[in-house]
Amino acid sequence: MTQTDPLMETAGAVRTGIIDCDVHPSPRSMDEIRGYMPMPWKDRYQGGGRGFYSNPVHGSRLDAVPPGGGPAGSDPGFLREQLTEAYGTAHAILLPRAFCNMHPDPDYGTAIAAAFNDWLAETWLGEYNHDGLFKGSITVAHQDPQAAAREIDRWADHPHFVQVMTDSGARAPFGQRQYYPIYEACERNGLPLAIHPGTDGMGVNVQPSPGYPTRYIEWHTCLSLSFQAHLVSFVTEGVFERFPGFRVVLVEGGVSWLPALTWRMDAEWKALRSEVPWLTRPPSEYVKDHVRLTTQPLERPDSDKHLLNVFEAMDAGSVLMFASDYPHWDFDSPTHAFPKMPDELRERIFSENARSFYGLG
Amino acid sequence: MGRHVVGRVGELPPGDRKVVEVEGRSIGLFNVNGRFHALKNSCPHQAAPLCLGSVKGMTMPGKPGEYVWDREGEILRCPWHGWEFDILTGRSVFNPHKTRVRSYEVTVEPPAEFGDEERVETYPVSVEDGLVVVHL
Repeated sequence: MTQTDPLMETAGAVRTGIIDCDVHPSPRSMDEIRGYMPMPWKDRYQGGGRGFYSNPVHGSRLDAVPPGGGPAGSDPGFLREQLTEAYGTAHAILLPRAFCNMHPDPDYGTAIAAAFNDWLAETWLGEYNHDGLFKGSITVAHQDPQAAAREIDRWADHPHFVQVMTDSGARAPFGQRQYYPIYEACERNGLPLAIHPGTDGMGVNVQPSPGYPTRYIEWHTCLSLSFQAHLVSFVTEGVFERFPGFRVVLVEGGVSWLPALTWRMDAEWKALRSEVPWLTRPPSEYVKDHVRLTTQPLERPDSDKHLLNVFEAMDAGSVLMFASDYPHWDFDSPTHAFPKMPDELRERIFSENARSFYGLG
Repeated sequence: MGRHVVGRVGELPPGDRKVVEVEGRSIGLFNVNGRFHALKNSCPHQAAPLCLGSVKGMTMPGKPGEYVWDREGEILRCPWHGWEFDILTGRSVFNPHKTRVRSYEVTVEPPAEFGDEERVETYPVSVEDGLVVVHL
């Protein structure tokens, strides 16, 4: 941190305009969620996350535990102090972790998603949101796409829900047609779909690596694989041709793989176009028009030059949006996670790309 | 550079740590098995408050499938990304030559060095108590 860092100079009372695209609010306890559930789900729900592949060190920043107790990310006052006031954030896009996408019972998954949406709307997007700092994500259980579409319609008029979200964990690549009711609902309501890591290889979901990894380090490193598979599927199945207004944001799925993957897809398409005749343009152009990536966890090679080259190759000034992943353990600091960049590029990544993508004022 | 009395030996038993402000800098003071060490409270990676991290041992380098736990109480993990630092040297476990946190010399000196007035007003002192002094 230097005296000349423009982000730090205006940090504090003055907003820097940062839009943080991956912030995780937590219920104070599972009773908070249960309170929004009807029977029998209320009786059955125990909360809980992945169950295994837990981080062996710590899952959330140790200094993010609220002074008054409770899980990291559960105290809006402390989150504001430690994250948004500290960095002068203009908007924090909230992605609660419901882990509803792993359950074999689609009705149970849908009930969990609905309860998290009711909770988020009443608390973080309501009671705690006097200044409109927080924007939210509509959680859906993709095990039942029709129910997911109804859940999207239920919330679409809410002023602070800005996207739909699902885990990257799934039973099939996201371009396949069983998911289309979700994309129709996103399109008719003008909401992008955010995909966030979680429940890969859990419950009913397949693991994107060839079989089950042994340890957290292997599982966590491989999370970007499912994002790549979903993205290729979206493009080759023609989802963006079928739903021209549909947009996707890949959250926490890695960044640097994008140029190589789109180069590969374009090369394949030149020879294999006849298999996917609905693609009228090179695959990379669909990605540029319909897909955004959030930065965290940003890869940091030993040489900053290498990362900046990747930024150039992926047109980061158009496709990348800043995310911190607060309060999780791999949090990226707005002031320390990035190499030095030209001011214009920095402004695009930290603010402007998300501002226009989400239509924020 | 200078001497800064930061507390009394008795206040910080082995295994404990406290964060102090010295010359405007936040510094973590650790008692590791009776010896005091001081580290800058800022991780060299992303400037997290390093000294609020967990203090444990670590798994030593081993053969595949083998876990050897050692150095209990000597390893500090950053509260954000979990990077391990050797409290005794300030050097990181994975790259001790390049990734290190600033460490400061710490001595324990006799209580006579501490002003009588302050000693009388603030702390009852037993004869065996030494003083903890950080040198910046």
